Amino acid sequence: MPLFGKSQKGPAEVVKALKEAVNSLEKGDKKAEKAQEDVSKNLVLIKNMLYGTSDAEPQADIIVAQLAQELYNSNLLLLLIQNLNRIDFEGKKDVAQVFNNILRRQIGTRSPTVEYICTKPEILFTLMTGYEHQEIALNCGTMLRECARYEALAKIMLYSDDFYNFFRYVEVSTFDIASDAFSTFKELLTRHKILCADFLEMNYDKVFSHYQRLLNSENYVTRRQSLKLLGELLLDRHNFTVMTRYISNPDNLKLMMNMLKERSRNIQFEAFHVFKVFVANPNKPKPILDILLRNQEKLVEFLMRFHTDRAEDEQFNDEKAYLIRQIKELKPIPGH
Amino acid sequence: MWNHTRDDTTQGLGCSQSTVVRGLETLGKVQKLGKWIPRLLSGDDRQHRNNICTQLLSRSRRFDWFNNLVTGDEKRVLYINHSHKRQCVEADVPVQSVPKPDGHLMSVWWGFLRSARKRRTGVYKMEPTDGVIFQSRFLSTLAIGKRKISEEILPPGTHGIFRQKPATCDHLSLGGYARVAKQSFGNLLSRKMATSTSQTSVPWPNTKDDYELGKVIGVGEATAVVHGAFCKPRNEKCAIKRINLEKWNTSMDELLKEIQAMSSCNHENVVTYYTSFVVREELWLVLKLLEGGSLLDIIKHKMRVSNCRHGVFDEATIATVLREVLKGLEYFHSNGQIHRDIKAGNILLGEDGTVQIADFGVSAWLATGRDISREKVRHTFVGTPCWMAPEVMEQDHGYDFKADIWSFGITAIEMASGTAPYHKYPPMKVLMLTLQNDPPNLDTGAEEKDQYKAYGKTFRKMITDCLQKEPPKRPTAAELLKHPFFKKAKDKKYLQQTLVAIGPSLETRVQKASKRQPGASGRLHRKETGEWDSAEGIAGELVGAGLVDDRDITAITQNLQKLIDQRDTIKVVTFPLDSAVNGGEPLDDRALKGYAQISITD
Repeated sequence: MPLFGKSQKGPAEVVKALKEAVNSLEKGDKKAEKAQEDVSKNLVLIKNMLYGTSDAEPQADIIVAQLAQELYNSNLLLLLIQNLNRIDFEGKKDVAQVFNNILRRQIGTRSPTVEYICTKPEILFTLMTGYEHQEIALNCGTMLRECARYEALAKIMLYSDDFYNFFRYVEVSTFDIASDAFSTFKELLTRHKILCADFLEMNYDKVFSHYQRLLNSENYVTRRQSLKLLGELLLDRHNFTVMTRYISNPDNLKLMMNMLKERSRNIQFEAFHVFKVFVANPNKPKPILDILLRNQEKLVEFLMRFHTDRAEDEQFNDEKAYLIRQIKELKPIPGH
Repeated sequence: MWNHTRDDTTQGLGCSQSTVVRGLETLGKVQKLGKWIPRLLSGDDRQHRNNICTQLLSRSRRFDWFNNLVTGDEKRVLYINHSHKRQCVEADVPVQSVPKPDGHLMSVWWGFLRSARKRRTGVYKMEPTDGVIFQSRFLSTLAIGKRKISEEILPPGTHGIFRQKPATCDHLSLGGYARVAKQSFGNLLSRKMATSTSQTSVPWPNTKDDYELGKVIGVGEATAVVHGAFCKPRNEKCAIKRINLEKWNTSMDELLKEIQAMSSCNHENVVTYYTSFVVREELWLVLKLLEGGSLLDIIKHKMRVSNCRHGVFDEATIATVLREVLKGLEYFHSNGQIHRDIKAGNILLGEDGTVQIADFGVSAWLATGRDISREKVRHTFVGTPCWMAPEVMEQDHGYDFKADIWSFGITAIEMASGTAPYHKYPPMKVLMLTLQNDPPNLDTGAEEKDQYKAYGKTFRKMITDCLQKEPPKRPTAAELLKHPFFKKAKDKKYLQQTLVAIGPSLETRVQKASKRQPGASGRLHRKETGEWDSAEGIAGELVGAGLVDDRDITAITQNLQKLIDQRDTIKVVTFPLDSAVNGGEPLDDRALKGYAQISITD
């Protein structure tokens, strides 16, 4: 207890004060300036309870538990996120830090905040729409990626309609927002293998028709990143069913063959890693086989000259040699 | 991949395999999938490891490289998985498919029997981010060191340093830019920056056509170039850094991190980021234009045009600039970020005397607070050797915010003497001097006694405080701000007089920026084909560092080349050193007396 000055506020008081301040900030009445100040001040208090400062250790578990409970009961997390754009620059970062810390809190193997958010999925949806607002997009992204680490939360996001907004967010013109959205998108599609595989199988048509647009994007970064992710998704053995389906569609093969010829070497290289799956498939459907046969000679010639300077990449060269051999040996299915 | 190292270790120490295996295990390596990979060490493990190292050291003094062989602290290991993608595996997560190391691990060590002065058994050991040293990383680290060091003699414009000086009117055909430029050059000292004319209501646009590109004001590596520019809708000047993503060989994630680090900062002493967008295959970063250029530009200019033998700037100027830098650093650190490359070349000046820290190219995030899920320290080898803190070089226990305080201390010396203390030496030598010698001070680089006597005790004390080898002893940025030295600090106007007004003319700077050819810095790098650029270069580097006698350069070059050319069949070469032949002592190729050994491990 300090000798001078007022004694420290407990969690209940701080949460109450913060909630009042956010409410009056939301109303935007004339005391807005004062409210802004109170929001910042109380956010810092909460942050210091969780993280400590250079002079003080973080608060004991019991206080943190109390704080978490107060945050759940007051519904403050949602309120903060809904009003994030009204909070000042540093305050926005504090919200993200507080949120992420509370989210990671564990009691034994339980994650109480994850359980709490499962009952309040609105938190997730509000965070996802955060990508629409430039000034809060990155803060929301930080929180979303933390959420995506938990399977239960990732599931809610994946299976929501809002998930398809990501196809728009990853293509916005501001690079940092688009790439942040992309890392969240990628996290959602790759982090929890079985969940992701199930999701992709069940929603194959919808997801891949959206995905097609990314691959054809005007934006070089979107094209390159989405192609790379596609390769990763298809080559993940959990996604075997999805892969099989993807490589039986001749349109997909045509797209990859075009991308092999793109101006950008990076895109060519990523396209190679998708293209090879089509060729390596032992049970090629007839339309796929037909395309490959029609282009047999051209493909062999093309591959012979493809990225010959990657001499040190053994695996790539092995794969390329394998593809060339496979294509050379292709024969029409007898009886057709 | 560690097997080879293990064999060599056995051989070198003259003990049994199992002793080494046991040693490695205690040192924090676990055998997974038949490979030695590092795991995360607890504090106790680390202590234990130190004890073992000490024991081994006392057994054979020649093997102090064993210290460096230890790579047990890393949390993550880099592998390539079946899809050719790099995969970062947490220490406790099993690897997902057969791991295949990226390239080759290379280590170099040998014994010297001559010259006691040079008797350093050296393993070139620099720990990159992810635990094992790969050949390409090893070389690029050397290259980074070389490049940054050479900055003193090369035209300016290394990676990410924004030399922000606008183009003059006659360089420009574009009306809008010229108009603003004219205004602000009309009366350099009293004129406010053009920002005052901006309409803050218009957000920074994301289309190329909204900007008029001016002269190139800085060239980074082959991948980046910085222009002065004018934003038409806002009627405001800015700087645009264009990064060619097709040539960008680091991952996009790294780039994103840099930009996020910038955009999460909002402080008058940290470079202001406005927006970024993609133009064909380029990324354009729109930043605040600081027209005074970097502090390094000004130092070099002043040294050229006046006699700076007894010091470049007066204490008041130094205090004023450094206080601003400290404010920026304090903010940075409170944000959970480490800058990792504080030096005069990364401190920019506005025409009005504003001081900003720039170049987030190497800045890192460091999670603060009690959080078990995050690392508290970083394990990455970045920065510029002359300014680099010992713990960053050692890569042993990781480092924290205090690494920036060391660099800050070196920068203080730089402002007084014009250069960093060990600027004359090649990077490897700098590493060794920093690790072995007492911390440098103002007089370390002096050519005669009392050369810098004009600088007082308080200033020297402040430098000593920053340059303490034990990071915890160094003050934090916030504590430093209270140091009595900074009572001498004045305001922006003072800097206008002492720095901005005397800075190099902008013609000089624009010329210099455009003169530099990308890639002309003589750096070593792997060519795209994966060939090593130059074995001779590496050997030269070793000689330059004082590790190797220059009589041995031919032998080393030849053997390195041999190793590189035939790396599929030959992993180790042991060869006699020319310099040892006349030494008189018996030579021994097993104990490496008069012999050197170079190995590649994969």
